[in-house]
Amino acid sequence: MYTKIILMALAVWMTAGFHATFAQSMSGKEIIEEVYYRPQGDDQESSLTMTLINSRGDQRVREIRQFMKDLGEVEKSIMFFTSPADVTDTSFMNWSYADGSDDDQWIYLPSIRRVRRISSDSKTDRFMGSDFTYDDLGDRHPDDDTHERLPDETIDGLDCYVVESKSKDPDYLYSRTVTWIDRETLIGVQKEFYDRDGDLLKVLTVKNHEHISGFDIITHSEMHDVQRDHRTIMELNDVQINTGVSENMFTERMMSRGL
Amino acid sequence: MKRTYFFVLILGMLLPAASQASDHIRWSGYARNYTGLLTGGDQDFSILQNTLNLELSGRGSRTAFLVNPYMYHYFDDELELGVREAYLSMYFDHIDIRIGKQQIIYGKAEGVFITDVVSPKDMREFLLPDFDEIRMGVTAFRLNYYTGMHTFELSWIPVFTPTKEPGPESIWRPEMPFPVKPVLDESAREVSARVDNSEVFFRYSVLGSSLDLELVGGYFWDDDPALHLTPHLNPGSGEPDSLTVRPEHHRLMMGGGSFSLPVGGLVLRGEAAYYGGKYFQGTDPDISGGLLEKNYLHYMAGVDLTPGDWALNAQFIQEYILKHEETIRQDQLIHTLTLMARKEYFREKLWVELFSYIGLNNGDALLRPSVSYDFADGFEVLFGVNLFLGDKGRFGQFSDNDMLYTKIRYSF
Repeated sequence: MYTKIILMALAVWMTAGFHATFAQSMSGKEIIEEVYYRPQGDDQESSLTMTLINSRGDQRVREIRQFMKDLGEVEKSIMFFTSPADVTDTSFMNWSYADGSDDDQWIYLPSIRRVRRISSDSKTDRFMGSDFTYDDLGDRHPDDDTHERLPDETIDGLDCYVVESKSKDPDYLYSRTVTWIDRETLIGVQKEFYDRDGDLLKVLTVKNHEHISGFDIITHSEMHDVQRDHRTIMELNDVQINTGVSENMFTERMMSRGL
Repeated sequence: MKRTYFFVLILGMLLPAASQASDHIRWSGYARNYTGLLTGGDQDFSILQNTLNLELSGRGSRTAFLVNPYMYHYFDDELELGVREAYLSMYFDHIDIRIGKQQIIYGKAEGVFITDVVSPKDMREFLLPDFDEIRMGVTAFRLNYYTGMHTFELSWIPVFTPTKEPGPESIWRPEMPFPVKPVLDESAREVSARVDNSEVFFRYSVLGSSLDLELVGGYFWDDDPALHLTPHLNPGSGEPDSLTVRPEHHRLMMGGGSFSLPVGGLVLRGEAAYYGGKYFQGTDPDISGGLLEKNYLHYMAGVDLTPGDWALNAQFIQEYILKHEETIRQDQLIHTLTLMARKEYFREKLWVELFSYIGLNNGDALLRPSVSYDFADGFEVLFGVNLFLGDKGRFGQFSDNDMLYTKIRYSF
């Protein structure tokens, strides 16, 4: 019995020690890959509220019900816009491929009552007028950038890896980004975006994350465009993970039928 | 008129009550002012319209309904009431059934109707209203069968609905190319509501990672009537001194399809239809009522692209009459181009857009630049111009109708 306990303790100590050693030696790319591939469940549904706040404090609110399913080779997501009134019943579907090939995207506009394929060559466009681009929302593949690990830092009491990333595309929207990643949860808790001139453009701050169904999920974040003093607050509510969202959710039928 | 106001009053009382009755029942819609001013002549208002568009909808796990009444109020106090859609839906595992008045839309072309011929059109203001107002609902029984990303659709339309044409005094009345003022004989215009006069359409579509494809077909009535002519000759001169025009709808068959194909950052689109049994106006009223029956092709190739913050699309459209004869008034081949450019500013608060139709046969065009601003969430103010270039052709015939317009819309 004692032998078994000692062996287990040894195994735990060795694993922890190995992890600590591995963590020390991890490269910038390995850390970003750990973040990118951090498990978030095979499927997820949630309600997203996005609040846009300009420099005068005026607010605009967008509300979305969204579903996601990871099918291995392809991750499918669908969004149903519920507010404001002039975009209600609009839906947007995205298929993102693990091999890095271009996403497939469709939009359903109730005014024309049909599903229309749209160009996916717009990952640097703002998402619904917010301070987030589609890339900022997490679709950017680690292979699209080079990553350099900087000295670790502590932010708000969290021990963080710090990684600087530069796009391989010289015409990319940002000259570089710097990400602070919580060593324990592998959640990027803060990220700075620098424009093509090298000036600070935006700061993303994770305000809250929750442990839901065994997964760490960011539920409250804020993007601050420091040059225009414009903010976007994203709040995720009613998050449900691994409830068995049907693949039939990601079809022309559901886009046009709506919720 | 009392009855009309009573209808509006009841509607206004019922909708909020209905929305409170159940969480599954929702009402939405918009109120809008639409003001258009002709820039030529006496600078008349071409339109002064207040609109209320309501949508009452309900949803259960396997059922749904929608009723969409609308009201147009004009400056002369004329009130137009209608129902754009009113249908019930049933959802099964692989089948959806929708019964009632509904808009059924086919194809991938924008602003042109190639295979999109199920819902008839309201052409009382030419192509200027929003497309959900141009397309009219039809009472139909529609069945969709789904398997994976494939959809098979069958629509049965028991009663024919024709195009709504501009009235005789309307500035949007197309040119009538007759040598003398015709006398209208409306005796054959109506298609009676009988089962053997019903229309049938089918559609297959698939969305895929490399291609979206749609195949369609239909046996239906031409929404636009053929104008059968009977000249009455003056016995003395031998010249026609009067002409009887008898509008009559005829059966058409259509088969076609459309696709969308992503290529890099572009989306290529195409659409084509073959029509059998279309009547074309001839130049000689003495020959078979001034009409010739021909088959014809209608097709389009287009591209969508998004360079920078712009959204652009271009479409090249051709209409081709097979076995064309000299006596047919319409050219054998008609070329049309559409161009659209759109850009947003201030985080989707301001939109600048140019949509244009260009008729290459007659060198005419309709240019529609506009600017819209989201004054607040759900409150949009739009300023636009409609410019008709040329003096003949589909767009040039309206060269006196250049207009400035505003649309102010509150969505709820």
